[in-house]
Amino acid sequence: MVKVYRPLNLIEALDIRNNENTIVFAGGTDLMVKHREWSGAVPKFSTSLLFIGHLTELQTINIDNNSLKIGAACTLAQILNDKRIPDYLKLPIAQMASPSIRNMGTIGGNIGNSSPAGDTLPMLYALDAQLTIQSKSKTYAVGIEDFITGPGQNLLKPDEILSEITIPLSNYRQYYYRKVGSRKANCISKISFFALANGDAAQIHEVRIAFGAVAPTVIRSFEAETLLKGINKSQISERLNDIKSSYANLLNPVDDRRSTKIYRQKVSLQLLENFLLKELVW
Amino acid sequence: MGNISNPVKRFDFDEKVDGRAQYCADIKLEQMLYAKTLRSEKARAKIASIEIPHLPPGYFIVDQNDIPGKNIVPIVYEDQPFLAPNRVNYIGEPILLVVGPDKPSILDILKKIKVNYEELKPVLSIAEAQELQEEYIFANKPCFVEYAYSKGNIAEAIKNSKFFIEDEFRTGYQEQAYLETQSMIGVYEDNRVTVYGSMQCPYYVKEALIQALGWPEDRIRVIQLPTGGGFGGKEDYPSIIGVHAGLAAIKAQKPVQLVLDRQEDISCSTKRHPAIIKIRSYIDDQDQITAQEIDIKTDAGAYAGLSSVVLQRLMYSASGVYNIKNLKVQARAYATNQVVSGAFRGFGGPQAFFAIEMHMENIAQQLNQDSLELKREYFFQQGDTSSTSGLFQYPIKLDEIATEIAKMSSYRRKRQLYSSQKERLRGIGCSVFSHGCGFTGDNEEKLIKPKVRLKKYSYNCVQIFVSSTEIGQGALTTLRKIVAQALEIPIEWVKHEYPDTDFCPNSGPTVASRTIMIIGKLLYDCALEMKDRWNEEEFDITHEYVYPKNLKWDNEKFQGNAYPEYSWGANVVEVEIDPITYTLNILGIWAVYDIGTPIDEKIVKGQIEGGIVQGLGFGCMEVLNSKNGQLLQSSLTDYLIPTAVDFPEIESKLIHNPYENGPFGARGLGELSLVGAAPALALAIQNAIGQKVTQIPVTPEYIMELMQNAKYD
Amino acid sequence: MLNMINFKLNGKNINLKIHPLKRLVDILRDDLQLTGTKEGCGEGECGACAVLLDDKLVNSCLVPAALLEDKSVLTIEGYRNTEKFKVLSACFEKAGSVQCGFCTPGMILAAEALLRQNPKPLEGEIRAALAGNLCRCTGYNLIVEAILLAAKEGEGLWSKSIDL
Repeated sequence: MVKVYRPLNLIEALDIRNNENTIVFAGGTDLMVKHREWSGAVPKFSTSLLFIGHLTELQTINIDNNSLKIGAACTLAQILNDKRIPDYLKLPIAQMASPSIRNMGTIGGNIGNSSPAGDTLPMLYALDAQLTIQSKSKTYAVGIEDFITGPGQNLLKPDEILSEITIPLSNYRQYYYRKVGSRKANCISKISFFALANGDAAQIHEVRIAFGAVAPTVIRSFEAETLLKGINKSQISERLNDIKSSYANLLNPVDDRRSTKIYRQKVSLQLLENFLLKELVW
Repeated sequence: MGNISNPVKRFDFDEKVDGRAQYCADIKLEQMLYAKTLRSEKARAKIASIEIPHLPPGYFIVDQNDIPGKNIVPIVYEDQPFLAPNRVNYIGEPILLVVGPDKPSILDILKKIKVNYEELKPVLSIAEAQELQEEYIFANKPCFVEYAYSKGNIAEAIKNSKFFIEDEFRTGYQEQAYLETQSMIGVYEDNRVTVYGSMQCPYYVKEALIQALGWPEDRIRVIQLPTGGGFGGKEDYPSIIGVHAGLAAIKAQKPVQLVLDRQEDISCSTKRHPAIIKIRSYIDDQDQITAQEIDIKTDAGAYAGLSSVVLQRLMYSASGVYNIKNLKVQARAYATNQVVSGAFRGFGGPQAFFAIEMHMENIAQQLNQDSLELKREYFFQQGDTSSTSGLFQYPIKLDEIATEIAKMSSYRRKRQLYSSQKERLRGIGCSVFSHGCGFTGDNEEKLIKPKVRLKKYSYNCVQIFVSSTEIGQGALTTLRKIVAQALEIPIEWVKHEYPDTDFCPNSGPTVASRTIMIIGKLLYDCALEMKDRWNEEEFDITHEYVYPKNLKWDNEKFQGNAYPEYSWGANVVEVEIDPITYTLNILGIWAVYDIGTPIDEKIVKGQIEGGIVQGLGFGCMEVLNSKNGQLLQSSLTDYLIPTAVDFPEIESKLIHNPYENGPFGARGLGELSLVGAAPALALAIQNAIGQKVTQIPVTPEYIMELMQNAKYD
Repeated sequence: MLNMINFKLNGKNINLKIHPLKRLVDILRDDLQLTGTKEGCGEGECGACAVLLDDKLVNSCLVPAALLEDKSVLTIEGYRNTEKFKVLSACFEKAGSVQCGFCTPGMILAAEALLRQNPKPLEGEIRAALAGNLCRCTGYNLIVEAILLAAKEGEGLWSKSIDL
């Protein structure tokens, strides 16, 4: 029999997770669509549900030692409304779905969904986000790049809950985000591009670039980022081809009902080139 | 009495804005059951057998065996069944209904039903249909209909030509995406069946029930409910589900509600016809277009439906608003094992005008002329004859329309600027177009014979009885205005309710931009007659349409006045294309129309804005592909219609050119505003990227492909 | 499986014995006969089912009963008795923002959600606030116009919080 659990607190939630097979339900904006039946009929789940969206312990936002800690059940709207959160973090979130979806959907849900087109993901990868995973017996941290293993797949075990996302904060000189969809609002990304840069008049200290929706998981290239590290902006052009090759080898887009492989490949590289040659200005 | 065009408060406003309006799915009758349709999973197959599980008490199956009359939808050709007999011709074709009180139980039963198919080779594209030599879907040919007509002496003109310019264009499927899905309620009581629902044509539904049941017409009643949009998608499809709901109610002896799921609606109900249009223009040594040959192919899907009528409008519109003196047009609507193509605002016009407007632009480019100036040379004028050699008896103001829109949008200046400017991908495009109002040819009289009734009560009340439906376009308000103004009485004295076939005569369907021009005129005539008899206590006046004596139509040769009258328009769209992502930013939209007289300026504005946005969606974002007989974008997540963010404000203007046979000078508008939007957008994109656009929707992927190919030119 | 759920609906406390996964749109329409909230897609795409949940715009087709505990829901039936609705609907009428009407209750509530947060929105902000409410009839501009007008004519109404 499929049960629906609404635990009073995180400990109770972890206990339930420990004892039986459950689907974690936060905002439900994906789950309620995936499992919908007929209008008037209750959505059909074959596994018990564990509601965590109401747990205030998972809805906190704190800044502690240059580290931003966001509870996994924070809604996207909550993140957007928090004045302490830097703009570069909000950019991708502001363009996700629609206002009503953002009022229910959670950052933990977007990560847990682990969709190749997940809109929070490129930003989280670029920021080296760490995820706090909790179970009844232990708590540990894992980098998001290790956590998500494939389309819709991640390391979360049946007794675990993603409880918090930790993002090291820094003053980025430049940040840039582009979501490419088939209309201007409320659509699934065909490509998403997130980039951050730091430097001074003389050199680039670091650049971080992440692509979404163009491979089974988000793409970051340490090889390319290394090519950019410590160089002068005027040197970008001479390294551009190598940088592009590095990403070109990692990009693995597909043809689907939204777009084509060649469009995604070409536009991704053009976004990259545009960022490096035109957007890196300070 | 003030000017009729002055806006009044819509009569359906209050109940719609505060949520009290009861659409079909909002209604729950006592003991009401629910129905869900089992649909074909195969594009083409014989049904060898169907295994039905044991049904708990209170649950029913409704299938072809429950149809006492004819299992054929009465629509032009007799090929489409209400419920599949022993074969299916498209994925989504209805096979049977499961009816009962509890939805999860119905779903359970549906899952347990096993249909044993013997698959046949499906025909999945126009190209495949063209190749077909045997095992045709319809009769003994690959197409449902094949038409041709001509004008002038094309052989002579070709002989005297210097060269020709030829283009081939493609347009895709489009989904109406009304916010309210198709829905019906069937009730069987006192030996009569009544079907309530979301529809554009109550009498089409009634005729369908008469055919399916074989009952006398007084045992059948159809009542329209508030309808959340139609756009042509609820022209003929409701006949099918209306019969489904009626049959279910009769079998169950209880009311039955049938509401389509959104994904079901997108996948299975009728769509705009994909089209392939080839135009060849012959040019003489004076750089004059002396002749045109046009070849049209549409993908009609699995059943004939309205494809013959759509094809006719497409082919009559194919040479656009241009007086091409020598013309040869041929057209075919191909049968494929895909969803049935049908009516959608514009009805062949959007496809035709996309092709001809792009083609005229290409001619202008080759002849090194400004396209708007070139088009002007060929604009129809009063006294000219149309593509079907029908005399244009009334003033045509295309010149004025073109001048006005060029001024409003600063078209000339921007065109010059964008054509030379290379740093930005900006472009501007202008389309000029028309829409014939009313049914094709003389079908208003021959086929429909619309009747209207106006009743005067002894107290201060006049009631309108027509089968025309309010589907958002304001019919419940505009027809009242016409009657009130003609009678010179306060509009509050005029009553008009959602049509009920028990009380309303058959005024024909709410389609073809005919409601104001044809039905409004009939009501106007009734009102004038009523005015003279105003002192009588209580009486009815009925008027029936009479085909105007100054028009003629030959339905065998397709010659004469293809439509009773036309509305005209021009659109300009200005666009900027992002060179990195090839995405569009529309910078401006302008529209000028001649619709005679606006019956209500605010309602007219709403129709203009809504039609343009729907047309722009067709032009650039509404991708709908069929693969292996299945539509790939079958949810609102995947089928993208414009949001509030996508397009900017629209600047529109009307030209004053009253039509003497229209009520207060009015002609039709409902479809005109959609027709010109996609061509204007495509022309703007073409102007921006300097590459020929030959298909819509113009997606970023397509733009990239065009610009990439350019590099290798 | 039925649970007791307590929540506030249009200002009144209600207790319902309901399946915890039953969608709010179905609770409103089927259990409570409040059919002003419509279902247009069931996927959270069209906004016809939009209601306010704790003052925030949500798609009721995506909200299961289990999430309603101790929350407050505002539907068009509750909203239409307010002063703000009078102003907003008068502006919708003035601008000609209603055609088939199916999207309208959702649009009205989306407008309310916006004006509560941003009593003097710019055109772009209005458009963004309506991004999740689809309309096929009007092309949106007349709705945007109506909301701009309401922000002006409802001066003061939205700058203070009003309890229902």
